[in-house]
Amino acid sequence: MNLKPLTLILALAAASTAHAEYTGPKVEITYLHGFTGPDRPIMEQLVKKFNEAHPNIEVKAQAQPWGTTWQQLAPLVASGRAPDVVVINEDQITGFVARGAVTPLTAADLKAGGINKASFYQPLWKTADYKGRSYGVPIHSVALAMYYNKDLMKKYGISKVPTNRAEFLAAAKACTVDKGGKNPGEAGFDPKNLQTWGNGVVNGWMGGTIAYSVLRQNGVNLVDKDLNAAFATPAGQEAIQFLVDQINKYQTSPANATEQSEINAFRQGKTCFNFNGVWMLEQYKGQDGLNFGIAPFPQLGTKMKAAWGGSSHLTLPKQRANYDKNKRLAALEFIGWMTQPAQNLFWTQAGGLPTQAKVASDKSYDNNPISGLFEGLPNVYATSGYPWVGQVRGAWDAAVEAAILGKKTVKDALEDGMNEANKQIDQARKTLQ
Amino acid sequence: MSDMTSNTALPKKRSRKMTHNNTHPIVPWLYLLPHAIFFLGFIVFPVFYGLYISMHRWDPLLESQPFVGLEFYANLFKAGTPQSEFFWKTFVNTTLFTVISVPLLVGTSIGLAVLLFKPIFGRAFFRSIFFMPGILSVSVMGILWKWLFENQSGLVNIILTEYLKLPPIPFLTSEGWAWVPIVVGTVWWTIGFNMTLYLAAMNNIPKAIYEAAELDGATNWQQFRFITWPNLSATTLFVVVTTVLGSFQLFGQPQLITGGGPTRSTQSVIMYITEEAFSNNQFSSAAAMSFVFGVLMLVFTAFQFWLQTRDLRKGKK
Repeated sequence: MNLKPLTLILALAAASTAHAEYTGPKVEITYLHGFTGPDRPIMEQLVKKFNEAHPNIEVKAQAQPWGTTWQQLAPLVASGRAPDVVVINEDQITGFVARGAVTPLTAADLKAGGINKASFYQPLWKTADYKGRSYGVPIHSVALAMYYNKDLMKKYGISKVPTNRAEFLAAAKACTVDKGGKNPGEAGFDPKNLQTWGNGVVNGWMGGTIAYSVLRQNGVNLVDKDLNAAFATPAGQEAIQFLVDQINKYQTSPANATEQSEINAFRQGKTCFNFNGVWMLEQYKGQDGLNFGIAPFPQLGTKMKAAWGGSSHLTLPKQRANYDKNKRLAALEFIGWMTQPAQNLFWTQAGGLPTQAKVASDKSYDNNPISGLFEGLPNVYATSGYPWVGQVRGAWDAAVEAAILGKKTVKDALEDGMNEANKQIDQARKTLQ
Repeated sequence: MSDMTSNTALPKKRSRKMTHNNTHPIVPWLYLLPHAIFFLGFIVFPVFYGLYISMHRWDPLLESQPFVGLEFYANLFKAGTPQSEFFWKTFVNTTLFTVISVPLLVGTSIGLAVLLFKPIFGRAFFRSIFFMPGILSVSVMGILWKWLFENQSGLVNIILTEYLKLPPIPFLTSEGWAWVPIVVGTVWWTIGFNMTLYLAAMNNIPKAIYEAAELDGATNWQQFRFITWPNLSATTLFVVVTTVLGSFQLFGQPQLITGGGPTRSTQSVIMYITEEAFSNNQFSSAAAMSFVFGVLMLVFTAFQFWLQTRDLRKGKK
């Protein structure tokens, strides 16, 4: 146990000294990213540090909202005016790769930048892979998490944070009490007047995100190996049925819960559990009297551990034919430096998660509640790897919503959603050629 | 006036001649040029380029943009395509919103204008109060009304359950009810602008007409019906046309309040076109939908002009 971090440090030290730093003539490279919130000053500090440490590279950073970049990147690439380095998110990256906007990072490229693929969490690294090649290096990572109310759990005698379906159901049942003090299953229990409850099943984008996590836990992805929508399998239905059952069968969730109503209920101490992104942590920390913890999303599915994750990746867009090779080398140097453990550790103070185990094991996290989430990080899976994430997620979210709201049976909802997604994929294929 | 008309014809003639001579024929064109450049660059060119995009399989990154003719237009009318299903579904949604919200927006704004035209106490204060929401951005307005109508913790449901002892209404997840926060929020948000237009127009109605009517014993309602309302018809035409067009362009409110849900029941046409272009990367299909939607808007506007100028045309006959 003690040896492991030591060997990792040694291996990393070896890796970082092994690569030749950029020694060419002084170049200026442009860097476009979408960290426009409180994370912006932290990114700017990192760029400043890089420029100070690299006298022959000048990085000019520009921050603009993500949506603007998604709209502008294709025309910029087409006209040969793309920035040297662009940050692209997990749900967009495969689309840009398939449309030819981003260049692959070869083994030689990675070596030039001193980037060691193996040091990152593997599902996170593979988020930017397409047809066996890598196109981006993860710089930022977020994940779906479970927040739990310690006081409420103690009140209802739950001593262990649930990690699987049986534990979660038992805990959720104990937490669900109506205004008359009755639990689900007791005679006269009124699910419409709940005092406290386990967790509300929500719809919309967050509902689709939670459902996707359970789907992955059942061993199913949204698409199959041919990248067609393939979620309406029996295992897929089982995952969504479990969510629907929490409302109708187990009665541990109120009907018509929304993402916002569940956030409010958790803040007010009315729910034991809340599923949302790691980005909610700061809001919950600021809630007076809320004694809570954060843990990996429990395994509500039947086959494996999994949770939704989002990420941002440093990429090298396609450039015009006579592009300066030194710029690409400098850009690789920048990407390599930015994604090193020291920089990632500094970056996570903006609310992101470590991109690599080395960072997660850092001592500075010992008293930080966020570390409760770290053991789940190797099992975080983005909606990525197919160029039509928008189409598939749109149809998936709508199917989950129709099932949860009881507008369709689970089977019909998923089959209709899958058909819709596949029609859209057929159209998208024609545009990709 | 009389002084000017009584002037002799001679200087008039000369001055006309002079201006004619001093002005180089190109000068008026130069005055028009700045606007023409922007108009051609930002209106005419995009329209024709959009038409080109809608008839080709277009993506900025594709090496060739094959001509597909009317394929993307046909998709809107061919059963079984996602476009034929969602474009018309969202069109019906948007029309529903327009049919509900326009009478409310016009009716309440004229009602407020009538009330605030009278010299009542605190008139300027109330005029500002009703105008003020209009200066908020759609994101602020959207979040505000989403909070108010939140299913469990929203103020409206707290009032319903805690004070009126009624069952809560899941506004954000019920088809139908989901329109309530969108419509009410929009009325609250945009009413001030139309109200101000009406107030300005009412200033132009001569007071003497009201005084004469009062002497003849006309009631308040009769004064409104036979003096105010007919004198405001030009303003009403403008207000109705701009409000209808504005309502059809519905985007931000459902985007923020309901996200277009539940199950696309509050998704507007513009939201769907945006989804097709920027989420699905189907730019040509989105361009084709924009043109079809644009033509439908033109038809609606022409119909409204015809409907509301009927009186004028009758008078001329």
